[in-house]
Amino acid sequence: MRIIPSRLVIGLVLGVATGLIYGWIISPVEYINTAPDSLRADYRTDYVLMVAQAYAVEDDLELAQKRLAALGPEPPSEAAVQAIQYAAEQGFSQADIEALRQLALGLRSLPPPAEIGGP
Amino acid sequence: MTRSDWISILIGVALGLAVGLFYAWSVSPVEYIDTSPASLRSDFKADYLALIASAFDGTGDLARARARLALFSDPNPADSLAALAQQRLAQGRPGPEVSALALLASALSESPPNTPVSTQTARPAPPATTTPTSTRFPTSTSRPAVTSIPSATPGSPFNLESKEMVCDAQLAEPLIQVRVLDASGNEVPGLEILVVWDTGQDQFFTGLKPELGMGYGDFTMTPQTTYTVQLAQADLPVTGLRSEECTDSQGETFPGSWLLVFLQPEGAP
Repeated sequence: MRIIPSRLVIGLVLGVATGLIYGWIISPVEYINTAPDSLRADYRTDYVLMVAQAYAVEDDLELAQKRLAALGPEPPSEAAVQAIQYAAEQGFSQADIEALRQLALGLRSLPPPAEIGGP
Repeated sequence: MTRSDWISILIGVALGLAVGLFYAWSVSPVEYIDTSPASLRSDFKADYLALIASAFDGTGDLARARARLALFSDPNPADSLAALAQQRLAQGRPGPEVSALALLASALSESPPNTPVSTQTARPAPPATTTPTSTRFPTSTSRPAVTSIPSATPGSPFNLESKEMVCDAQLAEPLIQVRVLDASGNEVPGLEILVVWDTGQDQFFTGLKPELGMGYGDFTMTPQTTYTVQLAQADLPVTGLRSEECTDSQGETFPGSWLLVFLQPEGAP
């Protein structure tokens, strides 16, 4: 009885090690079929910047909102503000920050969405 | 070791695997964070590409568009963008989006990657990793000078320069072929052309087949149908286009096509 647990422990260790080797080396996680809301901060900021640059020429806030909605449930204006903060921290050009600012201003000028289930 | 020892080890391995999988799938499942655009689902990827094109349409920054496209490791992004433009056109997506895709496809075709666009180009995109890094993208701090891309002067009308029937037995189907040139004789991509016939209408754009010219676009005709073609920036429509019969050297007949050339007049406003 004293030996069996030690064998079990050896087996457990082997099992976990096998799982880790398989999961990390033989068949590591591949990120496929992801959504824009999982983008890394720099890509996310660039996504918002592209929306802002397109908005500058299209002047279509509804389309900009729709594009930003892909980044997650947070309000589109919040995504724009976060992008401005990141861009400022990382030293993006003044033109980029201005484009983002214009987008944020446009989004903030929109009326807040109607509450559901109100009186 | 005895048989019971081996059984114990095997039980341990099975338990270990079970614990590992339970931990990986239930306790701490994979969360998709800090991913790169290359990992996006195909529909999101298409939207991302369209957004790159729309941003390029707004800024004219080809170096930056190229850096953004490089994230997808596509050896021939111009073809992919042109195909996407065709696909979106067929889906009835907004004209400006299709036009932007066509413009970027044309710009990429006209300015190969090794063409020095300017001394200040966007830095290579960082590789995708699963952990946050201090790398940022993009880092272009000023708009690089863009290689000249022919584009129509806004508001300037185009005139029909020539209209000729084309008897080309190599064409599988009769086409309305349109070629649009600016006042300098450069081909103009991204222009919308409306086609109307008795029972419907459709649109196409120049520049979606870069291999045939940036200002080229075509539309497949149905025999026995008469078409009217209107270039969005032309004053007058071209009416009465109908596939006529052509005869090859063997005496066999095949449906003919039409080639329309539009030209922007010198000194157009």
